[in-house]
Amino acid sequence: MSFTRKPGGKALDILQNLPRISLANLRPEPGTKKAEKKRGRGQHGGNRSGRGHKGERQRGNRPRLGFEGGQTPFYLAIPKYGYNEGHSRRAQYQPLTLNRLQYLIDLGRVDPTQPIDLTQLVNGRGVTIQPQKRDYGVQLVGEGAGIFAAKVNIEVQMASEEAIAAIERNGGMVTTGFYDPRSLAVLCKPVPFFISGQPIPKRMLPGEDMVTYYTDATNRGYLADPEKIQKARIALARKYGYVLPDISKDELFHMLSMVKNPRQIFFGLSPGWVVNMAEKKILKPTDDKLLQYYSS
Amino acid sequence: MATSMLCRRTAIFSWAIRGVSPLKSYNPASSHCGLLHQIANYNPKPLKLNLKDPYIPDRESEKTPEWQKTAKYDRKLFGRYGSSSGIDPAKLWPSHAQLEEMIAEEREWNPPLQVMLKNVEAKTKEANAKRLAREKLVAANMAKMPKMVADWRKEKREAKQKLKDEKARRERLLAEARERFGYAMDPRSPKFLEMVSEIEKEEKKKRKLMKRRLKEEQSHLPPAASSAASSS
Repeated sequence: MSFTRKPGGKALDILQNLPRISLANLRPEPGTKKAEKKRGRGQHGGNRSGRGHKGERQRGNRPRLGFEGGQTPFYLAIPKYGYNEGHSRRAQYQPLTLNRLQYLIDLGRVDPTQPIDLTQLVNGRGVTIQPQKRDYGVQLVGEGAGIFAAKVNIEVQMASEEAIAAIERNGGMVTTGFYDPRSLAVLCKPVPFFISGQPIPKRMLPGEDMVTYYTDATNRGYLADPEKIQKARIALARKYGYVLPDISKDELFHMLSMVKNPRQIFFGLSPGWVVNMAEKKILKPTDDKLLQYYSS
Repeated sequence: MATSMLCRRTAIFSWAIRGVSPLKSYNPASSHCGLLHQIANYNPKPLKLNLKDPYIPDRESEKTPEWQKTAKYDRKLFGRYGSSSGIDPAKLWPSHAQLEEMIAEEREWNPPLQVMLKNVEAKTKEANAKRLAREKLVAANMAKMPKMVADWRKEKREAKQKLKDEKARRERLLAEARERFGYAMDPRSPKFLEMVSEIEKEEKKKRKLMKRRLKEEQSHLPPAASSAASSS
């Protein structure tokens, strides 16, 4: 056996023998931190302390923001129009760019060998969803479609055509699914929900305004016909000019074809089950009526 | 490209520092392109379930507040402590009465997919029909437009013409009066009006005579024409 040189060499030796990094060993790069001007001290910070000369400016008595000395201010002169009417009742979808998704996959924060769900994105701190603030989920945005190179099975709440094309070009699968606010809260923070001891609720169907979106194959809706989805995949490939890879020949085909039931929130867990974190057990109901309700 | 570069770098890194890896290196059996893919899971927040010193309220005593005896709190206890909380797991699910309520509420507020699709279809149909009707109306009215424009123009022209005629008539009458009486008299005076009525009567007589003559000519002509036709 010939002697194999360790790559890195002396540098690696030094690195291994140096003490542990702590606050005592660190200091910022020279030139990055500029000392702030201490007001009321010294030649430059003192005298008027940057407040100007007399008047409201120096004495801190300036009128409120937007005041224009008595002239009707801009924010009152412009007439109202219903741009923001009902804004607090509108559904919001946090955008997720393909750039960000690629970044998360590259850093290993999101596992592409398992189906990517909103739970996985939140666990990897890729997106921040606030279900209480009219957030209805995450929308896939096509920015970064040029550099995206990951084969994933991703489930989002809305997706732009470009984003769908970029993911399918790399041999992945996109699905758009609806989560009503309660299900979304459960999906984003599963552990606090399990600790509350409630049975997993069943996902509600979208309202009449979103039903057409989720039954459309061009949006890869979860309520759409699978055959139409296949046709849409081929059509999209033709439109964007790429060869649609055959995922049935893929080694990860089983993972890529995993799709949730319309009433299911988590993969592998059905509605009606109680997950107990203390004893790591799952409790399932046995009553007929309950079973019928949860499987309807 | 980026992934492969990263994979190579992480592979070297992990090989060099064997056993001292703060990241959870996950080596899937089926990794793409055969490279190591590290999944850096965030360390989850420690689940402080407090299993060693649980607080389970005394259900019989009066001192425990009411909210600690509710079903919701029982579920939370079970969720935190499991079976050692002493709660019957069957209580976690809704009772039959509550279930009935839930089903009724769902039936009212969450109709099934087919019903929703039908409603949506009906609404779109109605909207389309309304739009079509409006467009038809607009098209019909637009088709009428050229004729309406021509009519309006004709009316305006006629009104103008009428005004001109009136003016010309009044001028003529004034000239006539001037000729007859020898001085420019006021058109509002009774003499002028008398003169005007006289002229009108004369005009009427003339017209009647003209009509009678025309009728006679016409009555003469047809028998002559018919006799000529029958003879030839």
